[in-house]
Amino acid sequence: MSRVASSRDSQPDGPTGGSALSLRGVQRRMGRELVLAGIDLEVAPGRLVVLRGSNGSGKTTLLRLLATRLGPHAGTASVFGHDLVREADAVRRRVGLLSSSGGSYPVLTAAENLSLAMSLTGKGSQTAAGAALERVGLADAAAKQVRYFSSGMKKRLGLARQLLLDPELWLLDEPHAALDEEGKRLVDECLTEARSRGRTVLLASHEQDREYLAPDAVVELAGGRLRLVEQAREVMPS
Amino acid sequence: MTDVQAVMAIARKDLLQELRSKAATVATVFFTATTLLMMAFALGRDQGVLASSTPGVLWVALVFAGVTAAAQSFQSDLEDGAFDQLMTYPVSRAAVYVGKLTANWLYLSVLGVLLAPVAVTLYGASVPGPAAYGLVALTVVLGAFGFAIVATFYAALTANLQAREALLPVLMFPIVVPIVLAAVRATEGALTAAGAPVWDWLLLLAGFDLVYFVVCAGLFHFVVDE
Repeated sequence: MSRVASSRDSQPDGPTGGSALSLRGVQRRMGRELVLAGIDLEVAPGRLVVLRGSNGSGKTTLLRLLATRLGPHAGTASVFGHDLVREADAVRRRVGLLSSSGGSYPVLTAAENLSLAMSLTGKGSQTAAGAALERVGLADAAAKQVRYFSSGMKKRLGLARQLLLDPELWLLDEPHAALDEEGKRLVDECLTEARSRGRTVLLASHEQDREYLAPDAVVELAGGRLRLVEQAREVMPS
Repeated sequence: MTDVQAVMAIARKDLLQELRSKAATVATVFFTATTLLMMAFALGRDQGVLASSTPGVLWVALVFAGVTAAAQSFQSDLEDGAFDQLMTYPVSRAAVYVGKLTANWLYLSVLGVLLAPVAVTLYGASVPGPAAYGLVALTVVLGAFGFAIVATFYAALTANLQAREALLPVLMFPIVVPIVLAAVRATEGALTAAGAPVWDWLLLLAGFDLVYFVVCAGLFHFVVDE
């Protein structure tokens, strides 16, 4: 098991306290292929972990599983002590996913997309939504329908939604993809700030050596299993 | 965040999307107009046959339009992973279902209420009095609800399939037969001033709606959660 711990381990973070996310022997098939063949991972709250892996290695599957979009076929998984299957609603209250496609409704405007997210989560405010759009550089495009956005603008809107909802566990699937260098730096800054607010961040990324991103650990997904690649803070493989 | 608020937010979102894109509107309006005209040609010039066919033709047009509208409501959701995002929010699956169902129901009801007088005029059906229009409108609302219940459920079930356009009607039409039958009979009763049987059919329609609603809302999470 890869264990990413921190000095903040003692903070209560759920019914059982301790880990922000905990996976033990998690398996998941997609069709007949065993994409996740026994994932063991434990991450303490307030850590930033980068998930690497080649195309098709299962990074997105793992993120969707943690966001409760997929259920595990074997093993146990919990987020802040809440079981992913039995307590999916509790997990959803604490997790936010930024998918590689942005996850916004094309026919709605940027502001309407954020309003919908606020309506369905009970988080945020119109003022905060405006500030989030301003932060990602989309203030002038707030009233523009997303179908007229470029890929990078869609990604920025997804980032604005993460900033607005500010979940306790940030799950990001290739957040740097389709962004220009300024946008990539913005992502890194937002993630670093999220960690400084005590948020836990797990991002799947192909980007190597991001100057402004100093992850606490890097894990690699290959052959359906996780391997610890590097650690900046206390990491204890079982 | 209550389930009622979530239902309202999702229904408003779906209706706003349709208002902007008009994807379902363009398809269904042309389709229903074509169906009414083609059936009129097919049934011949016998005024009695045309008038007595009005309820059946009206519901055939509405049913096929409803399939198109329901399928479209999920297609726009699937673009850019928006539905996946929606499902990561702390909203019950039943609320998502009822939200989408509400939008489909309202859309079909408006279409049906607008289509009924057109069908009556085109087919030369005699209307006993103003109250008949009220009964037809009530039938449309109840029938559209029942149809939307099944269509929304099966549209979600087939949304990710390649052959969804062929599979959706094949899967759902056998299920909606009781609803269509009751709706046609109630419409027929309203247009012929049949009296009591209209209410019997409307009660039956309401009963089907209730049963289908409970079953589909309860099973929806099996359809959208993998």
